[in-house]
Amino acid sequence: MKIALAGNPNSGKTTLFNAITGRIERVGNWPGVTIEKKEGPVKKNLAGGKTNIVVVDLPGTYSMSPFTQEEDITRSFIKYEKPDVIINIVDATNLSRSLFFTTQLLELGIPVIVALNKSDLNRKKGTVINVQALSERLKCPVIETIATSGRNNGLKELISTALKIRGTKQEAPFVGKVANSNDKSEIEAVDRQRFEFVKSVVSEVEIKKHDDNRLSRQDAADRIIAHRWLGIPIFAVVMWGVFSISQAYLGPFLADIFVGWIDAFHAWVEGILGEGVSPVLRSILLDGIIGGVGAVVGFLPLIMVLFFLLALLEDCGYMARVAVVMDRFLKKVGLSGKSIIPIIIGTGCAVPGVMATRTIKNDRQRRTTAMLTPFMPCGAKLPVIALFSGVFFNDSPWVGTLMYFVAVALIIAGALIIVRITGERNAKTYFIMELPEYRFPSLKRAAISMLSRGKAFIIRAGTIILLCNVVVNLMQSFDWSLHVVEEGAENTSILASIASPFAVLLIPLGFGAWQLAAAAITGFIAKENVVGTLAVVYSITNFIDTEEFELVGGATNVAGVMGLTSVAALAYLMFNLFTTPCFAAIGAMRAEMENKKWFWGGIAFQLCIGYTVAFITYQFGTLFTTGAFGTAFLPGLAVVIIMMSVIAYFAGKGEQKAAVKATLRA
Amino acid sequence: MGNIIGNIIVAVILVAIVVAAVAKIIVEKKKGAKCIGCPYGKGSEGGYGCCCSLHNDTEVN
Repeated sequence: MKIALAGNPNSGKTTLFNAITGRIERVGNWPGVTIEKKEGPVKKNLAGGKTNIVVVDLPGTYSMSPFTQEEDITRSFIKYEKPDVIINIVDATNLSRSLFFTTQLLELGIPVIVALNKSDLNRKKGTVINVQALSERLKCPVIETIATSGRNNGLKELISTALKIRGTKQEAPFVGKVANSNDKSEIEAVDRQRFEFVKSVVSEVEIKKHDDNRLSRQDAADRIIAHRWLGIPIFAVVMWGVFSISQAYLGPFLADIFVGWIDAFHAWVEGILGEGVSPVLRSILLDGIIGGVGAVVGFLPLIMVLFFLLALLEDCGYMARVAVVMDRFLKKVGLSGKSIIPIIIGTGCAVPGVMATRTIKNDRQRRTTAMLTPFMPCGAKLPVIALFSGVFFNDSPWVGTLMYFVAVALIIAGALIIVRITGERNAKTYFIMELPEYRFPSLKRAAISMLSRGKAFIIRAGTIILLCNVVVNLMQSFDWSLHVVEEGAENTSILASIASPFAVLLIPLGFGAWQLAAAAITGFIAKENVVGTLAVVYSITNFIDTEEFELVGGATNVAGVMGLTSVAALAYLMFNLFTTPCFAAIGAMRAEMENKKWFWGGIAFQLCIGYTVAFITYQFGTLFTTGAFGTAFLPGLAVVIIMMSVIAYFAGKGEQKAAVKATLRA
Repeated sequence: MGNIIGNIIVAVILVAIVVAAVAKIIVEKKKGAKCIGCPYGKGSEGGYGCCCSLHNDTEVN
């Protein structure tokens, strides 16, 4: 048996889907989170022990007439896959808007149940809906649900009703005239009749308590938080607060405890191994696996606190306001209004962020967004940020905050360049996003989001990071003749010989050591690898509490071991964050761009941006701090000029193309 | 002799760890994971929404 969940955007479909199936699909307090259908079996306790009931979560839609790709997915599924029952999730706080779609679903001949979701919010607002009367008017069962609640949420009743009405016939309460799809006025007339019907139903069943104060409070808050200029410093302060808590206060406190356990485990294994075991095997196990993976996992508490806080921000409705603030800038540089959704999703992981670009119709805007979304600091980049802000900037929350703002600036600058290269400056799109009401964030939802991301972090550490660390350790332990490299002669290792040519290119950026080059290269496999590889190549098992550790090379701290100035460290961080993303994100870019020229151009563009940003940061940072440019300024400048000239050449060609188009249009 | 046995045990443990990591990656890839571990980085499960060529939001030229 197949049950489809359909409803307006942000009505709580995915939350209900998670509650019914026990899955943890991404939810968000803003419209447009779900862009494709998701399936899952109903939990046994809800299905009365039955195991063959599958629920399908569909993207939100306002009507059965597809306007966006997500709406088309929903319409196609309902029309062609013919689910046995449709659960129509209706936002009880917005009944009049939601029922328009309900009346269309009821015309299809598939049994429909209305799940009156967010009923708890209605009660708080003092709005009363006569469920019985609504059911009679719509001629279908109506059940109040609270998808966010663990108890008395109406889900059992919802599923048992779905089982009961399967195969039954329902009479449509409103049958719209079949309009000629090419006649706009005819379609509008049918829609008007439908709205009139919905209005009459709502006026009969809903008693709304008008709380003008509440609305005006929300509006007043939005006038400040989503203000075109004020919104930006507010976002900076909010992010500063988030990074302060996660990286300067609560995060390090938890991390210290956690790292203590990892250190104890390391010491325990070291004790068991004793002196008799081969140094190579010992090094792989202690430095490569436990040390390398431990160095990455040590940041887990910081990352989880950060994820928790970001989930709270999203749940209370703040991130939707950030989208509004940023949307203005994106549209001005030729991106789609919808581009903000992939960018925000990209803060969790670049892969789903890039995948979310598929809802953008315009090819150029879709490809540009797919190319620029990976600039956002994703979850994998957070340990790198945490490492460098901790080691070089005394856990300053400004480092993390700065990275988000640099990412947004690069997205805007990148879009401006690409729009010139493509010569399509005139294309503008409009995207209307409904702002959710502010609400007190759910600690449970934030905890679920934090735990699922934390689990993902551990899985990655235990798979990709672990394997990379083993390979890095082996390559560092042997030379090309497969002889074990002696201590102090690591420069002759396979790893050093591979990384050294790349390191030469990185000298103008302030980090020409082969160890740093090797870490940057492994970062292309997964960004957390930067931390893991640095731990392996410098034999540092712990980046968080380094006081008790004897560090290599006679240095007394990690910064000394790496031999970097603070400016060079910032440049290194920027290079790793703003260059080409990991292979998984590159694969997603390839799939969404559907064009080889765009794909390879995008990779080259990202490399150029990463190199240039790191060059500017290091050279000008060094100039400001020491009064002179850093090492290899002129060769680096030459590389940057060559890259910029190539970009300028293509931009010039694009301008010509735009001029030709404008002439033809005229 | 003791050292040889010790080395063999450590080598077996290392191989087991590596094999387990590789197996986990293969399982995740088979499940459709595009980004290992990421709970939201999976491809669509039923074909809908997968590389759709239909993109239709509002465009004004």
